[in-house]
Amino acid sequence: MGITQLNRRTLVQGVAVGAVGIHALAATNSLAQSDTTVKIGVSEDGYRTDERANVGFYPLNTGIFESLVHLGEDYQIKPLLAESWEFVEPNTWRITLRQDVSFHDGTAFNAEAVKYTMDRIASNGGGSMGLGADSCVIVDDFTVEITSSRPNRRLMQQIGHPNNSILPVGLNPAESRIGTGPFKEVEYVAGDHFTVETNAEYWGDDKPEIAGITFNFYPDPTARMLALQAGDVDMITDVSRPAAGQVEQMGATLLRSPVGGYEAFYIQIHGEEPYHLGADPAVREAISLAIDRNVIVQNAWQGNAEPGHTMIPPAILGDSVSIVAEPTYDLEKAKSLLEEAGWTGDDIRAKDGTALTLTIINGYGTAADHGTVPEILQAQLREAGIDLQIVQTPDTATYEQRLSLGEGDLWLEAGSQNDGNPGFLPGLLFASPEEGGDPESTMYGRAFAPGAAFDEQIEITNNAVDMAEVQEAAALGMNLLINEEHIVVPLCGFFRMVGASEKITEFSLHPSGVNQRWTSLRVKG
Amino acid sequence: MAVSTADHKSPTKLAKPAVKLTAPERFILLKQLRKDTSALVGLVLLSVIVVMAVFANQIAPYDPIKTDLLLGLTGPSRDHWLGTDSLGRDMFSRIVHGARWSLGAAAIASLAIVVLGVSIGIIAGFFGGIIDSLLMRLVDVLLAFPSMILALAIVGMLGPSLKNVLIGMVAVWWVDYARIVRGITLRVAQNDYVEAAHCCGCHPTRTMIRHIFPNVIPTVAVLATLELGGLILAISGLSFLGLGAQPPTPEWGAMINDGRAFFLNAPQLMFYPGMAISIVVLACNLVGDGLRDALDPRMRSR
Amino acid sequence: MGSFILRRVMLLVPIWIGISLLAFLLTNLTPGDPARLALQRELGHQPDTAQVEEARERMGLNDPLPIQYLRWLGHAATGDLGTSYRNGQPVLEALTNRFPTTLKLAALGLAISVTIALPLGALAAVFRGRVVDHFSRIFALVGASMPSFWVAYLLILAFAVNLRLLPVAGSSTWKHIVLPAVTLGIAGSASLMRVVRSEMLENLGQDYVRTARAKGLANSYVISRHAFRNALIPVTTILGMRFAGMLGGTVIVETIFAWPGIGKLIIDAIFDRDYPIIQGFVIFMGTVTLLINLTVDIGYGLIDPRVRPAKS
Repeated sequence: MGITQLNRRTLVQGVAVGAVGIHALAATNSLAQSDTTVKIGVSEDGYRTDERANVGFYPLNTGIFESLVHLGEDYQIKPLLAESWEFVEPNTWRITLRQDVSFHDGTAFNAEAVKYTMDRIASNGGGSMGLGADSCVIVDDFTVEITSSRPNRRLMQQIGHPNNSILPVGLNPAESRIGTGPFKEVEYVAGDHFTVETNAEYWGDDKPEIAGITFNFYPDPTARMLALQAGDVDMITDVSRPAAGQVEQMGATLLRSPVGGYEAFYIQIHGEEPYHLGADPAVREAISLAIDRNVIVQNAWQGNAEPGHTMIPPAILGDSVSIVAEPTYDLEKAKSLLEEAGWTGDDIRAKDGTALTLTIINGYGTAADHGTVPEILQAQLREAGIDLQIVQTPDTATYEQRLSLGEGDLWLEAGSQNDGNPGFLPGLLFASPEEGGDPESTMYGRAFAPGAAFDEQIEITNNAVDMAEVQEAAALGMNLLINEEHIVVPLCGFFRMVGASEKITEFSLHPSGVNQRWTSLRVKG
Repeated sequence: MAVSTADHKSPTKLAKPAVKLTAPERFILLKQLRKDTSALVGLVLLSVIVVMAVFANQIAPYDPIKTDLLLGLTGPSRDHWLGTDSLGRDMFSRIVHGARWSLGAAAIASLAIVVLGVSIGIIAGFFGGIIDSLLMRLVDVLLAFPSMILALAIVGMLGPSLKNVLIGMVAVWWVDYARIVRGITLRVAQNDYVEAAHCCGCHPTRTMIRHIFPNVIPTVAVLATLELGGLILAISGLSFLGLGAQPPTPEWGAMINDGRAFFLNAPQLMFYPGMAISIVVLACNLVGDGLRDALDPRMRSR
Repeated sequence: MGSFILRRVMLLVPIWIGISLLAFLLTNLTPGDPARLALQRELGHQPDTAQVEEARERMGLNDPLPIQYLRWLGHAATGDLGTSYRNGQPVLEALTNRFPTTLKLAALGLAISVTIALPLGALAAVFRGRVVDHFSRIFALVGASMPSFWVAYLLILAFAVNLRLLPVAGSSTWKHIVLPAVTLGIAGSASLMRVVRSEMLENLGQDYVRTARAKGLANSYVISRHAFRNALIPVTTILGMRFAGMLGGTVIVETIFAWPGIGKLIIDAIFDRDYPIIQGFVIFMGTVTLLINLTVDIGYGLIDPRVRPAKS
């Protein structure tokens, strides 16, 4: 070890080795194997074994189960176990099933299995599709009709969600996992690993070319990264954004998906004192103008995100994406807007004795999901004379509790789209709250809903049959939220990242993790 | 953290010196300490860190939470002696201010623990009877837990924050003090001068403060110094898990947690706060050992 | 002997009741309404007021606290600690599933700390003031001063990433346990070693050792057969407490090394606000600790009859 090489890292290593008193003789790679089983380091073991989890494998997707349709990487749905489907007025979808599919245990896939699965979802609350006990009707062995208990023309976009994967009749996925997918379960050890092998009988054209996959759980992102470097695994998912550069430094490849997730904050417009300042349109527009997304991307995420223009993934809007204008960064304009609106002052602006102090609530999904973004926002808004107080809520539940009380001005959220319905998130969060609806279930609407003009677009996304029409309405709604009302300030679009060792030669990464298909994995040898 | 947990409930020999120090004895104590090189080293280290904590604003060249987005992850330089973290915050300033958070939090917890433990111990020992039985049953129950388990549960119920971590620590760690102080009180209360004070109609509070409390001081001082290190480890451990100090607070455990993401390309982000914790705990242990040796004649003979 | 054990067990009953009371009261520290939280987890969205009221009634949260406690205690005594908010798994099942994994780690951690501490502590006492003594003192001080989460990363860097001798994290093979156990062991050995040293010193100064030496017995024989064996007795008794402490100290190590034990479970539960798990953890670990102490007491009574109360 030459003097020049004695950097801090070797120093740390030296300390570690010295402390235990073991001398390095030779570096041996104990895990070099040339089989075609792929080891993938994933984060938490999120496998749920309770009755309420619809199929029990969400959110860890192991390729065992399949849904009727598949959400493509462009967020458009493609046939999977369903061959075709048509809408029957007033509210029914008639679905024709594939006839050449069987489950891993040999039983045939047919309308009975679909009915069993849909009834199970109905008995667990109906899911996003709003299914009731009588929703699914068998027409013949390979045809079913599904009628939601509420008007629902987006059912086919929703039914592809892996939560709605098809189970063989009578299966409780908490006990065993038997699906139609390209992989079969070998072993599941809770908290440690989930091993699957390739299903030699797989019905699809994209039969896996690898022997199988072992998913190892590493909740600690650093340990996951180190596992890749040490050669314990061939690939890791959920690479930490700020630290992703290390993947390439260690000689592995960093793969990126299209954008599927987002980070944005919403400004409360219906708040009561002291959370009422967002009601002023000038304040909202100034906030929007004062945010420099490139700095957030470069700094908080070390370049591993894209400046965000919409909230939902751009791809889901199809050609209509151009309707949503890109928000601009213009600090001078932000300042002059505030001046005109009467917010003046050298340091923190004020109007009629009220200081322009806003509170940002950081905690959805968790505060940790947003890294240093709140601090950067604080610094940027300060430039425009806006004082930002940061409140961290440790988890979603506390965040929502606070939102239901309306105690905050800016609400920082990260989310992702996992089905193909463009109107789902905007409608859920920003549609006007139901008259007399329970206060707890309408908290987003009560804080943020812009009103009739937006609700009209959401109506169209719910009721139009033509997807192009749905996309256009969703885009118009998003544009209204972002560029006219300035209620939503998109910050970043998130793509997924995996780190892959040189063993992996090919892999197509889906923007939505739960919709990932592992059949595209190719390895050396 | 495992250490502190283990240490916490081990049989202790600290209950021995239940004597009031006279002036010459205090002098001997100082002399003893001065002869003890390692305790002296500990004392110097600890003083340096305390000075760092108290004068953090004067010592630190930069604001520890001020970000400089153009200066992320730089190595040591003339401007930034220990380099900067991912947000361009000066690591040296963060370490200096970290002394205030890490040592300060432990000191506050320690003070609360001592006040609670000593009061309960003296009250139980002095009054005896039903008060004593009730308090000692509570002590028995709390002693049935490894300290970290109950502290974790309390933080879990209250929610993660540095304040709640301190509450959890105090709620659990006072027991040892109460038990030991009660033992000393029981012995001292039999002394003639205490009984005399009592018979003369001296108010119980006065008796407790004037006659019993001074006897407790040496033992409690040793115990508090020895356990300060353990407290620092425990608090920084909980902060490391994300249960304690929240970002951007420059608490050392939280800084190690922040630095984890950059473990491979900037290990110094973890190395410096780790060293800082190790040094301050080491200093506490050295001073605590020295104090114990000086106050415990049995140890002194070795 | 039978009556001795019985007496010991009877002593534990009030303490166990105290533990259960503590575990029960802990729930009252939670901010927010447990019924609302449970419902929210169940439904996936905020429940309405009527639903919450109905759930409060169903969960018995409207009853007076003592009634609630007795009902809860009745359930707890039969092993029903409720179900996890997160995944609906019975709490006792979740705890007992994870416990053996933690037990294994803590046992090996303890074994490693004993393996380091016994010889080092004994040698330090025998060669008091010599190099070994200084080395062991420095080792003890440094070992007790380093945060375990920091040591863990140093070990990973050295043995997993650089030397590639051991896996980074996980639990599927025997190799996976080495680094977490060593991390625990280093921390535990430091303080244990000092106890061994001081016990040895005490015994070496005793009359019987001087007598044995005076009889002309070889020094090594005296040290190993007399002093060391007698020093072991008090050391053994504190091992029980150490073991219980280590069970609580695995939390950080389990998180870093992805060791699916009870410590990892409780950390997840804390971040998920899974209160039934946290509550169950308290009563479960309290009970386990009581049992460990009982075992140590009885074992000690078997070894050393002086501890047993005289028949009267």
